[in-house]
Order: sequence, then C-alpha cells, then structure tokens
Amino acid sequence: MFKKNIFTAVVMVLLAALVLAGCGKSNEGASSSNTDAKKEEKKSGEVNLYTSRHYDVDDKIFADFTKETGIKVNLIKGEDDELIERLSREGKATKGDLFFTSDAGRLHWAKDKDLLQSVESDTLNKNIPENLRDKDNQWFGLTKRARVIVYDKKKVDQSELSTYEALTEDKWKGKVLIRSSENIYNQSLVSSFISLNGKDEAKKWAEGIVNNMARDPQGGDRDQAKGIVAGEGDVAIMNSYYFGQMLNSEDPEEVKVAKQLSVFFPNQETTGTHINISGIGVTKHAKNKENAIELMEYLSSPKVQEVFAEANYEYPVNKDVEPSELLKSWGNFKEQDLNLSELGENNADAVKIMNEVSWK
Amino acid sequence: MLYLIRKMRSQLNSWALLSVIFSTLILLPALLIMIQLFAESNENWEHIKEYMLKNYIVNSVTLVSFTGFFTVLIGVSTAWLVSAYKVPMHRFFKWGLILPLAIPPYIGAYTYHGILNYTGVIQTTLRNQFGIKVDQKYFDIMNIPGAVFIFTMFLYPYVYIITRSFLENQSSSLIENARLLGKGSFMTFIQVVLPVSRAAIVGGVSLVILEVFNDYGVVKYFGIQTFSTAIFQAWFGMGDIYSAIKLAGTLMFIVVLILILEKVIRGRKQYSYSTSKVRPLQPKELKGLKKVAVLSFFISLFALAFAIPFIQLLQWVYMTYDVILSAAFADLIWNSVFVAAIGSVFIIIVALIIANFSRLSKGWIGKLFSKITVLGYSIPGAVIAIGVLTLFLALDEKVITLYEWFGLEPTLVLSLSISMLIFAYVVRFLAVGFNSIESGFDKVGTVFTEASRTLGMSVTKTFFKVDIKMIKGAIAGGFILVFVDILKELPLTLILQPFNFYTLATKTFQYASDERIHEAAVSSMVIICISALSIFFLHRVLEKEPK
Repeated sequence: MFKKNIFTAVVMVLLAALVLAGCGKSNEGASSSNTDAKKEEKKSGEVNLYTSRHYDVDDKIFADFTKETGIKVNLIKGEDDELIERLSREGKATKGDLFFTSDAGRLHWAKDKDLLQSVESDTLNKNIPENLRDKDNQWFGLTKRARVIVYDKKKVDQSELSTYEALTEDKWKGKVLIRSSENIYNQSLVSSFISLNGKDEAKKWAEGIVNNMARDPQGGDRDQAKGIVAGEGDVAIMNSYYFGQMLNSEDPEEVKVAKQLSVFFPNQETTGTHINISGIGVTKHAKNKENAIELMEYLSSPKVQEVFAEANYEYPVNKDVEPSELLKSWGNFKEQDLNLSELGENNADAVKIMNEVSWK
Repeated sequence: MLYLIRKMRSQLNSWALLSVIFSTLILLPALLIMIQLFAESNENWEHIKEYMLKNYIVNSVTLVSFTGFFTVLIGVSTAWLVSAYKVPMHRFFKWGLILPLAIPPYIGAYTYHGILNYTGVIQTTLRNQFGIKVDQKYFDIMNIPGAVFIFTMFLYPYVYIITRSFLENQSSSLIENARLLGKGSFMTFIQVVLPVSRAAIVGGVSLVILEVFNDYGVVKYFGIQTFSTAIFQAWFGMGDIYSAIKLAGTLMFIVVLILILEKVIRGRKQYSYSTSKVRPLQPKELKGLKKVAVLSFFISLFALAFAIPFIQLLQWVYMTYDVILSAAFADLIWNSVFVAAIGSVFIIIVALIIANFSRLSKGWIGKLFSKITVLGYSIPGAVIAIGVLTLFLALDEKVITLYEWFGLEPTLVLSLSISMLIFAYVVRFLAVGFNSIESGFDKVGTVFTEASRTLGMSVTKTFFKVDIKMIKGAIAGGFILVFVDILKELPLTLILQPFNFYTLATKTFQYASDERIHEAAVSSMVIICISALSIFFLHRVLEKEPK
C-alpha cells in the first residue's frame, strides 16, 4: 500500500502546484484587465520590461517612475539575443511589454522578427530626433554613445588622426587596438560602413584593421585603452562612455591610465563619427501598452535624460538636454548621417565579413 | 508465494513508472531541440564550416586536452601526497585543497585578469614602487594557455576528491605491500597508485572535461572561440537555430564518445570491496627536504587556486561595498540559496528513485535510465534552457486553452514561474547528484536490501527503513555538490529567470559584462563564501563516512 501512497502523493503535489500557480496568476490577470477606469489602473498597474542594460542608474529611474505614477516596473535582465529568443518563443502569450537594449542592430532585429509594434506618440516624436527612431516608430533611441578613437597624447599628435579608414594605412601597422569581432559594437561599426561605403569597401576596411592590429583582439573596451598606456599599441577604438567611466573610476590606477589619453572623433570632414544607441520598443503582444508608452515618454523626458547623461557618460538623445560636463569638454562632433535601422539590416553581412578577414 | 511475487513485481513497477516519468521529463527538452538536427543545412552553416569550424574544434580540443592533463597531474599528485604522507597542517590541506571548487571559473578568470593587467596590483606595484615597466606579453592571461591555467586551478579538485577518497579507503594493502617490498615512494606512485586508481582518476577528469566543454563564461571573457561560444553566436548572433543545433549535436557526439571511452578505460574491473577487509591508509610522517618540498607545493597551489584570488576580491569588496550593499542585496542571497536548496532537494529525490530502480532491476532498462541522467550534463546550458523554455511554453498553451475555456485572459503561467528554472536545474545537474547516490549504493551493495526483503519488508519499506539510512553520507554529499553547482550556475539562470528575480550569479554577470569588475566583487565574494562553507560541510560528511 505504502508505495502507492507515495506515487499518489507525488502526483497530487504536482497537480496542486499547477493549480495553485494557475489560481495565483489568474487573479492577477483578472484584476488588471477589469480596472478600466484609468485612475484606478494607475494605482494598481504594472509594466513588464525585458532589458539587457545592466546599469544601476536604470533601477533608480524605474523606482522614481513608480513613485510618480504608481505603475510598478517588473524586470527581466538578460542578454539581448537571449531575450529576443525568449520573446519570440513566448509569442502572443508573452507578458513582456517593453524590450530595452543597448544596440540599434538588436532593436532592428527584434522588429525584423515581428516582435515589436508601432507607437504613435507626439511626446516621443518631439523628444527624439528622427534618425534615432525606427522608420515605423517601432523602437526609440534613449541614450547615445560614440565609437571614438583614443590615443596617447605623448606618442601621437592629434593632426596624425583623421578617419577610421586612415587607421588601415601602413603608418599604423601593429599599432591599432580593438576588441573581438564577437562584440556587437564592432559589428555595428562595420554595418555602418556597409551602409555608407558599400560591402567591398567595408571588407577592405576590416581587412586593413586586421593587418594593423597591435595584438590579437582581447578583453573589453577598457582593456584597449590600457593597452595603449602599457605600450602595446598607439591608438584604440572604443566606446565613449567606457572612457568616461575610466576617468571616474574608483580605482586610481584606471584614472591614471585614462588621464594619459585623449579622445578623437574621427571622420569629421567626411562621413561622421559612428554612433549607436540604447533604445526601447513596445512588444507586439504587450498587455500593458498604455503603461509602456507612459514609461517610454518618461524615459525621454528632459529630467530623466539628464540622469542618464550624468550617471553613465552617455549622450542624451533629447536635444533640450545638455551632455555632462565631461562630454562637453570633448567638444561637439559630426555624427554619421544614417538611420540606425541600417545597423541591424547589415548585421549578418558584417559578421560574415569579419569572419572572412579572420578578425578574431 | 505466487502472491508474494506478484506483489514484488507491482512494487518494482511503481518505482519503474516513476523512473520512466522522470527520465522522459528529462529527455523531453533535449529531444525538442535535437529533432531539428536533421534539418537541411543553409548558407550560414556553409559559412561556419568554411571559416570557423576548424578553429572551434582546434581551440576546444586544445583546451580540453591540456586542462585534462594538468588537472590529472595536480589532482592525482595532491591526492597521493595527502593520503600517504603527513606534513604540518595536514588536516587543513586535506580540505583546503578542495576549496578552489568554491570559486566559479568565470570569477577566477576576471579576478586573475584584474590582478595581472596593466592597472592590476602586480604591474602597478612594479611601476610605482620600483619603476619597472614590464612587457605585457608576460602578463597576458586572456589566451588559451591562460584559460588552461584558470580551468586547471579551479577544476582540479574534482580529480583530487575522487582520487583521494579512493586511495584512502581502498588501496592500503596494495600500497603497504609495495612499501614492504622496498619500493621507493616515487616507484610506488608510478607502478601501484596510478594503475589501481585509474578508474577514480578517469571519473574525476571526465567531470573536468565536461565542465570545460560547456564553459561559456571563461572563454567568452577571454575571447576564445570554442564550441559553446559558436553555438551562441550561430543561434543568437546569426539567428540561425539550425546551425546552432548542428554544432550542439557535434558537441554531444564528442561528449558521448568521451563517456564511452571512459567506460572502456575503466575496464570491466569494479573496485568494490567486501566490507570487513578494508582499512584506511595510514599516512607516513615526512622529514627533511621532502617535507619542505611537499609543504611548499601545497602552499603554492593553495595560494594560486584560492588565497590570491580571494584576497584580491576582498580588496575590491573593500573598494565598492558601500555602493553595492543595500537591503536589496539580502534578497539576492535569499533567492540564490532558495533556488539552490529547492533544486538540490528535487535532484536528490529524482536521483534516489532512478538509482534505486536501476540497481534493483538487473536488466538493461535500469542501466539505460542511469545513462539518461547524464544527458543534461553533456549539453550546453543555453541549449537546455531553450529546450526547457519550449517545453514549458507548450505546456502553457494547454493551460491557456483551459483559461480561455473559463473566459479568462490568456497569460503565461508556468513559463514565468520559478518552477521552470528549477526544472532546468534538475535536467542540468541530475548527473551530479545521481553519481554520488549511485556510488553510495554501490558501496553498500544489495545484501542488506535482500535480507530485509527476505524478512518480509516491501521494496519501498526497505528503501525507507534500510537503504536510505545506509547511504545517508552519499545523500548529504550529493546534496552539497548539487547545491554548490546551482549556486554558481549562470546561463540557465540568465535565460529562464522570472520577473524581478536576481541571484548572486546573475548580479555578478551583470557587472562583469559591463566591464565593472570591482563592483562584481561583492556578489562574487558571497558566492565563494557560501560555497566554501558548503564544501567544509562536505568534507565533514566525507570524514564521518564509515571507512
């Protein structure tokens, strides 16, 4: 008899767990769908966010949003590609309302997989410049970063630097530091060249960079800057905000490294410096669309844009907001004239080009 | 009599039924993925084959073979030295040499990079105190030899634990005979210890190999392209599930090959013993130069594999704790410990059921079930994650139909609950718990079970009244090993987390992936401390085991 008891017990427990889980969730679902009156919804509403941004300042901003509106922000923090995969597998049943990530290519890809929906909002259109938004308003840029050239003030004169393309000249053989081709920022950089100059030129550039590399690509963006000071190379390609973080690091040695270096915005006479964004979009099957739009508008508002800019050394997208003092000291620069959707459109080609030229 | 046989059979059947259910559940996610293995290849696959595949294979094989070689070298020599000789602090080293297992290789990797790089403590000291600027070449750890070093340091304890417990408990007569016959210690080691402990060594090193094959954290951080990074890149980067599955399939094939090889090398010989004759090996006191040599070997190993990274993390904790520590941090610890504990309980229950069934049924079916448990350990975490997600979404679809039937709003239930994550842990780490329990069962044999059955107790009653009590140590040991594994686990937790659910491991990853290594130190430190505590308990459990 005893063994039967166990078996039944196991089955019962499993069933009970199922039912309980079901009840708990169904109540939640019912309560949020029944509150039609807007005011009430604000008290009890929520918005669910899939995000691949890992900055502490984001948590603080979401907490402020909840304080002001009463809308609770629920988060799943993962890696962008995996979040896209999860969204697409969840399909119309998904509970995710917003997808937030730090690369335009990935946003485009989410759109391409039919995971996002168009949003009409005058506030967003006013706050965010057109080239930093999706053509169909499926995603919106919220912060901006530039992929700049960093150099040793003692070894390199600023007049020697001009463009990304110039770094492929023989003069820089064995002197260029850049991280691996697996990095999405490099992939998007090559994607932008495909858009601006065509596939062949982009491949030629990638080939030239590989020929001039100071060492096999390794480490993150900060490691490239350290590589210059350590004497491994003369110039490095890295994201602007990492450099800002190094200048303000809690580690005095990192500050020392950053202080020996300078930022240069390439291609000012030609196509402009490569920029990328962190951006956000409403998911196609969002259950809390209104709350989602409210959160997006909040994130693009001058007040929050200022917080983004100060905390993380990113450029605000809102034209009414000034960048942090540090970024201002680097001066204004001309950006690539490109709709950032194209970074995503060309991503697969960019990855293939980099593999073909053996960019590790 | 006839009634008795019938009763016996029906009892075995309910154990069989449960085993079938659990094994199927564990197989399902893998099957859902593997179905796609036979899909037509597309242009991405051609591209991967032409430009990348060779590189992946060469890198993966290099990593695995060198790590395998060095972990055997270090694991076996320490196991032998600890069990055969006595040096000062002998009792401490006995368990201190297991401690590196508390440091997940990915944390070890970024800690060592932090120590060695240009702004790290070594170069800074040389530069600022002595004015010495060094060639970066000698301090570069982000390459294949560096990865081999990291894996060796933090994985050799697998070989050490298994080999040591074998040597201590089962080889005393052979070794003492060799000593009596006048063999020196080195010859005893080569001619006696190595051959007899072959099975234990192979068992340990195959765990190491599986860990290295499935590692994602270290190789990604170091920028080394291996099979597991390739699977990610094809699947998520190129959006090409078919190529990813093909790569995962190739990897599984290699792993299965290794497992078969392990069985062949182990041979048919089973080193089980009849209980009365075994007595533990008595360690000899070492003197003079030998004592100094062994002691300094132990000290440097312990320093490299535990003390140095630990102290470095401590310094970073001191640097950042005021920013990182908050009330929310307590939640992280609670979440981590909670899922690890629940996951371990489930794994131990499932492992007990399958192991008991597989040992009592003599046929091939029982053996087959015991093989299925290993499956999860041989598939990359991310592949399991997507398989589990697919399975739970399919289940949810059924639930949704039910909901719509009642006129409720369709919503995800199971796939947004913590049960999905825990299920994935069971699939992934069942092998770890199962191995421990199986070896426990092996030790006690079936004599006592049969005696109890002859005296009229049912299979189930015997299980609770006799079997379970005899393998208490193995159960505790298995529980702790699984607990530590889940605590350190990353890819599954990252992909399958429910809303607002963070663990120490995901927090560490979030900072580390944003190149904020110092901020990652606090959560890393807590993982290491909890793991170290668990390992200490494990050591106590192993010590108490009847010799």
